[in-house]
Amino acid sequence: MFGYTFQWKQALSKLPQMLDGALVTMEIALLSMAIGIALAVLLTLFRLSGNRVLNGFAVTWVEVARNTPALFQIYMAHFGVASFGIHFSPFTSLLIGITFNNAGYLAENFRGALKAIPETQTRAGRSLGMTPLEAFGYIVMPQMLRIAFLPMTNQMVWAILMTSLGVTVGLNIDLYGVTQDLNALTFRTFELFAIAGVIFYLITKIIQLGARLVAARLFRY
Amino acid sequence: MKLGLTLGGIAAAVVLATAAQADKLDDIIASGTLRCAVTLDFPPMGMRDASNNPIGFDVDYCNDLAAALGVTAEIVDTPFPERIPALMSGRVDVGVASTSDTLERAKTVGFSIPYYAFENAVVANDKVEMADWEGMKGKTVGATAGTYEAIWLEGQVKAWGEGEFRPYQTQADVFLALSQGQLDATVSTVEVAEANVKSGNFPGIKIVDKAPMVPDYVALFTMRNEYGLINYLDLFVNQQVRTGRYAELYKKWVGDGEPANLSVPGVDR
Amino acid sequence: MFDTALSAADLWFLTKGAGMTILVTAVSVVFGTVLGIVFGVFRYQLGAIWAAPVTFVLDVSRSIPLLIQLVLANAFLGTVLRLQMSGFTVACMVLTLYTAAYCAEIVRGGIDAVPLNTRRAARSLGMTWAQDMRYIVMPLATRVALPSWIGLALGVMKDSALVYVVQVVELMKSTQILITRLQEPLFLLLICGLFYFVISFPLARFGGYLEKRWSND
Repeated sequence: MFGYTFQWKQALSKLPQMLDGALVTMEIALLSMAIGIALAVLLTLFRLSGNRVLNGFAVTWVEVARNTPALFQIYMAHFGVASFGIHFSPFTSLLIGITFNNAGYLAENFRGALKAIPETQTRAGRSLGMTPLEAFGYIVMPQMLRIAFLPMTNQMVWAILMTSLGVTVGLNIDLYGVTQDLNALTFRTFELFAIAGVIFYLITKIIQLGARLVAARLFRY
Repeated sequence: MKLGLTLGGIAAAVVLATAAQADKLDDIIASGTLRCAVTLDFPPMGMRDASNNPIGFDVDYCNDLAAALGVTAEIVDTPFPERIPALMSGRVDVGVASTSDTLERAKTVGFSIPYYAFENAVVANDKVEMADWEGMKGKTVGATAGTYEAIWLEGQVKAWGEGEFRPYQTQADVFLALSQGQLDATVSTVEVAEANVKSGNFPGIKIVDKAPMVPDYVALFTMRNEYGLINYLDLFVNQQVRTGRYAELYKKWVGDGEPANLSVPGVDR
Repeated sequence: MFDTALSAADLWFLTKGAGMTILVTAVSVVFGTVLGIVFGVFRYQLGAIWAAPVTFVLDVSRSIPLLIQLVLANAFLGTVLRLQMSGFTVACMVLTLYTAAYCAEIVRGGIDAVPLNTRRAARSLGMTWAQDMRYIVMPLATRVALPSWIGLALGVMKDSALVYVVQVVELMKSTQILITRLQEPLFLLLICGLFYFVISFPLARFGGYLEKRWSND
């Protein structure tokens, strides 16, 4: 029917290698999310601090992260900063690029979430003798993370998808990199990338399902 | 009347059948354009001049082929990893992209006889102590994803069991990384290595040694089932050598010296 | 500050790349939005079960890296179906579907945000479904959806940096080509980043402004 003969067997025999790649992909995404959330909280604090320098730093980070392509950010993390003699391995460059992106988007989400938390709560906390940081950490932040949970899930999915950009900085152990290497050897483009696509789809579904379970457990009232 | 209809039907069927049998070679001649996949970050085989126009050995080779076919050439800049997808998706007719004719790849595409042969060199960053190719052991090395030398080098790193291999998307990224010191060494064709060292674009790199690989024969490629075109390509490569054009292009792009022998002693193709 | 070999011709080359970025984005956003609205309304009217096939396709488009979608579409259309399509067409098709996938969600969210009572009131005044959609739902839903839509359009512009895999020379690819020749990665990357930023930032700010203004009434 098609002018092309599918060779699924040959492609499927590479599945174990691709699944190993999928693990690396998940590892990068999880790390970048964990660090990204921590940084985003920090950026949010900077914005709340009232200090002009800190606020400016946070705003710049958020705006650059949100207004330039992720590919650009990752390429910059590898080839751009190397102009200053700073070298990161492909893995680290990709991690830095995605984390930078995650932190920017998440900080913006957190800012939106903060609007939903009445300021009186902070004041109440302060009047109970909490320091501003304590009030933020014990009262505001938990609610903020809860409100921003759905955007965080979306960001996690994006982080997974963004790992595919690692090939541009020489990474070949993640799912996309492994697939591209196999493609270079066999030229079975369609079959290999179709399998990679299915794996990516399953990963994102698992994450979304997991997030729902976590949400159900965490957010019982 | 009825006979007329039948005859007309047969005539129509014959015309249709002939039309359907027109192969790629006919298509190219009919369309008046030959679209070549050329990798333009692979000096001196493919590169861009100061006004970003494609130039190089492969570019000239494609132009010659188009001239032989009596059509105009269109150079489609195709990075190494995208050569085959570009062919398979019908975006190009022929690959003139320094493509190694491996058996694994020949399962998918059809190769002509070799039109060029590379030797590979080990290129290292100045700051790295390296006496010969075995000095790469345990170092961070890299090459262009999907190339012959990348496949070889990755195999070496695995065999050594130490060091790190990084495939970059383009030859330029490899040399950029090497020049920046992100890579300690790379393996590339002698031609590319010499051109890059000479250009001065990549400060701080040096050629260390030849890589102990079988010469990297590269061939033109097209769809596997386009025998007519593959035959034509074979003859074309033969004629290029016979007429001295091969030596001429070698002199123009690579420099003085003898171009590599394209036939393997002791065996026919 | 920078000693550069960048010539006027190179700047023009970059500008052409930028033009391609904008063209791919514009085509994809226009078609993707129309499709997205159709799918969004379709899904809302038919309910989850009947719309499942469409939902699934759109969901896949959101769950697989764009890079893989491009490579797959390219391989499938060209290798398997043997259609002669330019990389530009493939890029636009994939990005259109990608836009539609997110747009459908935004549209659905927008419609959901219109209070049902308002719509019932419209219908009980004798408005038809089409009139209700046109005069009640559209204006109200647009207010909710427009800021997100601006975000989406900008997202598509940034993601269009990936269409280099199907041999479309857009801004990011042009930058890489120049880096190959000039070997000034940092400087060229900064120019490239600045361009994206200059287009994206004001529009993103405008979206934020609309969101703020429209949520306070």
